[in-house]
Amino acid sequence: MAPLTPYTFIQCPCSDPSTLASSRPADASSPTSISGQERDDDDGRTFDPRAPRSNYSLYPLEYLLYCEDCHQIRCPRCVSEEIVTYYCPNCLFEVPSSNLKSEGNRCTRSCFQCPICIGPLGVTSLEKPADANLLAAPDNAASPPSGPYILICSYCNWSSTEIGIQFDKPNSIHAQLAKMRNGGVTRLTAKERKEKRREAAAQSGTGVPPTAAPTTTGGDGQDLDVEAQFANLKHFYQGQLADANAAGASSLSSLGDLGFASPNSLSRIMSIYTGGSLHDKKAKTRVGTMREALDSDEGFKLADLDESGAIEKLHEEGYDGTVSSEQLSNQPPNVGEVQLHGRSRFASELRPIPYLLRTKRSKRCPICRHIISKPEAKVQTTRFRIRLVAGSYIPSIAIRPLPGGGPPPDTLQPLRPAQFLLTFKNPIFETVKVTLASPATTPGRFASKVTVLCPQFEIDANTDVWDEALNKDGDKERRRRKGEDSGSGPAGGGQAEAGKIWERGRNWVSIVVEVVPASLRPPTISFGKKEDTGPLREDEDVLEIPMFVRVEWEVDAGGDEVGSVPSKDKDKEAKEKRELAYWCVLGLGRVSQG
Amino acid sequence: MSATPVSTPLPHRALANLRSPGGGSGGGQAGGGSGPSTPLRPINASTFASPSTLRAEEDLVIIEFGTRKLLVGFAGDPVPRGCIWLEPEQQRRVGDFRAWQTGFHDDWRRRASGKRWGRDHELWQYDVRGVDLGLVGDKLERALREAFTKYLLIDTRPRKMVCVLPSGLPSPLLSATLDTLFSKFQAPTISLLSSPATLTVAAGVRSALIVDLGWTETVVTSIYEYREVYCSRTVRGGRLLAEQTHKSLAKRLAQLRGESYDEGPDSDFKGEVLSFEECEDIASRMVWCKPCRDSITAQHAEGLPTVQEHDDEPESHVPSSDPRPSMVTVPLKSSRPPTSLELPQDALTEPCENAFFETHYSYTSFDDHELPVHLLVYRSLLQLPMDVRAICMSRIIFTGGCANVLGLRQRIFDEVSSLVRQRGWDPVQGRCVAELRANTKLKKRATRQAGSAPTGVASHPEEGEEQDGVWHDAANSAPEVDPVEEQLKKGADKRPRVQGEMRAIESLGGWSGASILTQLKVGTIATVDRELWLQQGAAGASKASEVDSKTLQRQSLGAGGLIRGAAAGSNQWTLGVWGAT
Repeated sequence: MAPLTPYTFIQCPCSDPSTLASSRPADASSPTSISGQERDDDDGRTFDPRAPRSNYSLYPLEYLLYCEDCHQIRCPRCVSEEIVTYYCPNCLFEVPSSNLKSEGNRCTRSCFQCPICIGPLGVTSLEKPADANLLAAPDNAASPPSGPYILICSYCNWSSTEIGIQFDKPNSIHAQLAKMRNGGVTRLTAKERKEKRREAAAQSGTGVPPTAAPTTTGGDGQDLDVEAQFANLKHFYQGQLADANAAGASSLSSLGDLGFASPNSLSRIMSIYTGGSLHDKKAKTRVGTMREALDSDEGFKLADLDESGAIEKLHEEGYDGTVSSEQLSNQPPNVGEVQLHGRSRFASELRPIPYLLRTKRSKRCPICRHIISKPEAKVQTTRFRIRLVAGSYIPSIAIRPLPGGGPPPDTLQPLRPAQFLLTFKNPIFETVKVTLASPATTPGRFASKVTVLCPQFEIDANTDVWDEALNKDGDKERRRRKGEDSGSGPAGGGQAEAGKIWERGRNWVSIVVEVVPASLRPPTISFGKKEDTGPLREDEDVLEIPMFVRVEWEVDAGGDEVGSVPSKDKDKEAKEKRELAYWCVLGLGRVSQG
Repeated sequence: MSATPVSTPLPHRALANLRSPGGGSGGGQAGGGSGPSTPLRPINASTFASPSTLRAEEDLVIIEFGTRKLLVGFAGDPVPRGCIWLEPEQQRRVGDFRAWQTGFHDDWRRRASGKRWGRDHELWQYDVRGVDLGLVGDKLERALREAFTKYLLIDTRPRKMVCVLPSGLPSPLLSATLDTLFSKFQAPTISLLSSPATLTVAAGVRSALIVDLGWTETVVTSIYEYREVYCSRTVRGGRLLAEQTHKSLAKRLAQLRGESYDEGPDSDFKGEVLSFEECEDIASRMVWCKPCRDSITAQHAEGLPTVQEHDDEPESHVPSSDPRPSMVTVPLKSSRPPTSLELPQDALTEPCENAFFETHYSYTSFDDHELPVHLLVYRSLLQLPMDVRAICMSRIIFTGGCANVLGLRQRIFDEVSSLVRQRGWDPVQGRCVAELRANTKLKKRATRQAGSAPTGVASHPEEGEEQDGVWHDAANSAPEVDPVEEQLKKGADKRPRVQGEMRAIESLGGWSGASILTQLKVGTIATVDRELWLQQGAAGASKASEVDSKTLQRQSLGAGGLIRGAAAGSNQWTLGVWGAT
C-alpha cells in the first residue's frame, strides 16, 4: 500500500448545494446513503467527501483562482474562458485560428506521436533500401535516390515501415500522410476529389450525361473511404434539396417570401406576369422529393460483411498483433480509410498521431467579467500577466501527525486516538479570524470520531518577514497580552489542550485535531435497515474529514484591494467586514486494515 | 466549406443533367427550361439567409451521446473531432495524481473485486430508479469540458448545440442532459436528433433497419421514410459480452489451476477473478465470432435468402473447421498471480456465442428482454407491414461498438437469412402449424379453391367488339391516362429500388448523419430554447404531434412573420420522440 501524504481539497462554493447532503433516499448507488439519511435530521448540510458527486467539486488550493471584486473563490468550473493562442505543443508553432477551421485540431506540420507509446516521432532517412521486402508500395521503388524517409519513435523503435508507409520528402509529412493509406497505397485527398468532380461537372455541362459513366455499387464503392463517402453523400443531399426547393418551395412558400434577391421570389414575380402558367407547372412537379442514394457516387455503400480475412489475420498474429483499447482511443479519426469496423484492432492499421493543438486561455470571473488569469500571448513563455491564485487570498492548511509518539506515520490504527497538527497560514495582510466546524463523526460507512480541539482562533497578518525578526520581543508581548499562548506550544509539555492553540508564529497558527479511526470491518449484522455489507471499496480506508472553514477579516472600507494597506496598528474609522466560507476535505491517512 | 456560393451552382447543374434523361422532357426541371431562375442555393428553408450566415454558424457543436462515450465535433466535418470515453479515471478528483504513483494501479485500479464491474465506465444507466441525476450531470459536464478544451479547442462562449441521442433515452436522463448543457455551457438552443434517423441519413437511404449492437443493449429500429416505425431491444450487448468473456476466461483459469469454477447464477458477479478493464480489453481485441453453421455454404453464394445453393462445398470451408488446433496466448494481468492463458482459438468465440446467440437453447426459452439478436432482427422485420419490410430488409445497417467483433455482422446477417429461409414471413410457428402445412389433403383443397375461382370468370370469348376495324377488349386496349398518376410519376425516380432481398449497407455513423443534416440546415422537430427550458423544464414540452413544424418554419420567413410568430404562441416546443410523457 502506497503511503499516503496528507492532503487538503477545497470545495468551490459555486457547486450545487445539493452536493452537500446526500439526501436522496433512492440513491442506492452511493455508499453513504444510509448514514446520509440518519444525519438528515440533525445536520442536513454536512458535506460528504465520499459521495460520488463531491469528486467533481473538490479542488486542491493550487487549482483555484480568486476574484478580487466579487471576493469569491473561482474554480475551473465557474470561470469563463477566452482563447489567447492556439499552438502545437511539440513544435511550439502558433496556429492562426482560421487554420483551425480548415485544417482541424491537429498540428499539420511534421509533429507526430508514436501510436504505440505516444512518444514523439522523428523523421529519418532510410538511405539504403536494405529491407526492400518491406516496401509494399511499388511507387516507392521508383522514388528518387535521395532515399525514402520514415517516421521512427526513438523510445520504442516503432517505425512507419511497420504500417508500410514511407515518405518522399522529409518535410510536410502531414500532407504526404494524408495521401497515403496504410501499406503505401495512395488515395485522393478531399481537395483533389473536389477538383475531379468539378471537371466531371464541367464535362457533363457540355452534353455528356454523367450517367454514361456509371460506377457500379460493387466495384468502386468498396474503395470509398469515409471522407469520400461523406463528401459524396453531402453532395447528393445538396443536389436533392436544391431540386426539392426548386420544385416545391418556390410555388407555395413564395407567398411569404419577400426577398427580391432570392431566386424564388424572382420566379414568383415572373409567374405573376406570365399569368400563372408557370406557377401551375411547378405545383405539379412538386411531388418529386428526395430519393435515396443509389451508387457510390452518391455516397451509397454496401457493407462488406465478409470478415474471414480479418479473422484469419487475427489467428495468425495473435494477441500481439492487436492494439489495446487505450492505443486505439488515442488514434486520430482515420478518414482516409473505408469503415474499418473490427479491423481497426490490428497494429498494422495504426496511424501516426498528429499532435493535438493546445490553447492558452485567459479566464474571467463569470459575474463581474474581470480578468482573473491571463497568460502571455507568446507560446514560448510560461508566464502570466495576471493570475489571481486563491492561495494568496485564503489560508492554506498543512497537515502533519503530531510529533511525540503515537501512531507510526503511514497508517492509523483503528480505534486508537491519533492527533494531527493543522497549520493554517494566512497569506493576506490582515489579521483573519478562522472558525472551523466539522461533524463529530465522519460521514461514510466507517464513521471515525473527530474532535477539533481549537475551533476558533485568529491568525496574525502576513507582515514583512523582517518584522518578526526585529520585533521578536514585541511580538511575544503582544501574544501574552492576548493571553492565548501562555501554557501551550511545543515547549509547554507537548500536551494538547482543548480550546488552546498549539503553536503560533508570524502569520500562522497550528491547532490539534484528534481522531479516533473506525474499524474497517464491514458490518456483518444488519440492524433492520438494508446495511451496506459490501467489501472495502477504493479509498474507503483513507480517513477524510470534512471541515467547514469560515474566514473573517476586516479591510478598510475605502481600499478595494485586499491587502493593499497593512493596517494592523491603526485602529481607526470605518472598517469593512469580509468573510469567506467553504467546505474543505482533509485527508489524514490510511487506517490500517488489521 | 464547399457550400460557398461559388461552388454550389456546379453540383446543381450536374444534378439537373443527371436527372434529365430519366425525367423525359426538360420542362419538368424547374431550374432548366421554365422561366429565368438563378441557380439555387442548396440550403433549405432559409431563403433569407445570406451566405454569410453559413460562416457565422459554422461552429455548431454536435454531440452524440452513448452510454460509454461522447462524440463531439463541428457540423460539416465528416467525422467527430474527439471521442471521450467515460472512465473511472475521469471521475477522480482534480489534482489527484495518485494514479501515476508506482504501485497504485496494483492496489486498486487493477484489482478485480470491490468495484462495480463496469458501471463506473458508464455515463448513465437506463434504469433510472437508482440513478443520481446530479452525478450524471457532473460526469457529462466534465467530459464535455474535456472534449471542448482538448479536441474542439473552443472557449466558453455560448454555442448552439445539436444532440444525437438514442431514441429510447429515458426522459429524466434527457432532462439532466439538457439541464447541464443549458446551465453549464449556456447553449442558446439545442436541437435533438435521434440516432437511428441520423444513421439512416448517413447511409444515404430513406428507410433502413438499424441494428445497433450497443453497450447496454442491442436495439433494432426500423426506419421508414425517416420515421421510426418499430423498435425493439434485447439486453444482449457489449456489457453481456464482457461478462461472458470474464466467465469463459475465469473458467479456463480455474481449469489451469486445477480448481473448480462454480458459475453461480447468471450475470451475478460475486467472485470476480479478472478486472473489468482486462476482460473488456480482451473482448475487444481477441474475441471473434464463428460463421453461421448452416450458411457456411450459402455465404459464398449470393447471399440471397430464398435461394439455396449447394455448389462446391469443399472450397467454401471456413477456417474454423480446420483441424489444426491453433492456440492463442492471452496475458492476464489482473488475476492473482498474473499469468498468461493459452487458449484454443475457438474458445474465444464462446463469449460471443453466449452473449448474442445461444443457439443451443430453443427459441421459446427466451424472455422478451433477452431474445438472441438474430431472432430479434427477424421478429422486428416480421412486425413490419409487408412493403415496409421489403424496403427495410434490404437496407440493414449494423452499428454500435459490438459491430467491431470480427464476423459478428456476417453471422447475424446469415442467421437472419436462414431464419427467413426456414420460416418465411409467417408469424405463426409451432408443431400444429407444421402439421397443418404437412397435411396434403388440406393443401390440395385450398389450391383447388384458389385456382378455380379466377379461371371460371375470365374466359368469355365474346366480350370484345369490333370498332373501326380494331378489336377493343381489355387485353389490347391502351390503358387510360391518369393525369394524377402521371404527375406523381414525373417527380419520382425511375430507377428501381432494391427491395425484398436481404442486404446490408454501410452507414457513416449517427454523428456524421447529424453533421450532414445540420450543415444542410434541415430543421429539426425538437429544438429547445434556453430561456424556455430554464423557465419550464421538461414539463413545458408539448407533444411532437401538437407542434406544427410548418408554423415553426413560417416564423423564420420574414421580419413580419417573426414578430407574428413571437406574439402568437411561439412558446410551443417539443422534445420530439423523447417527450412522450
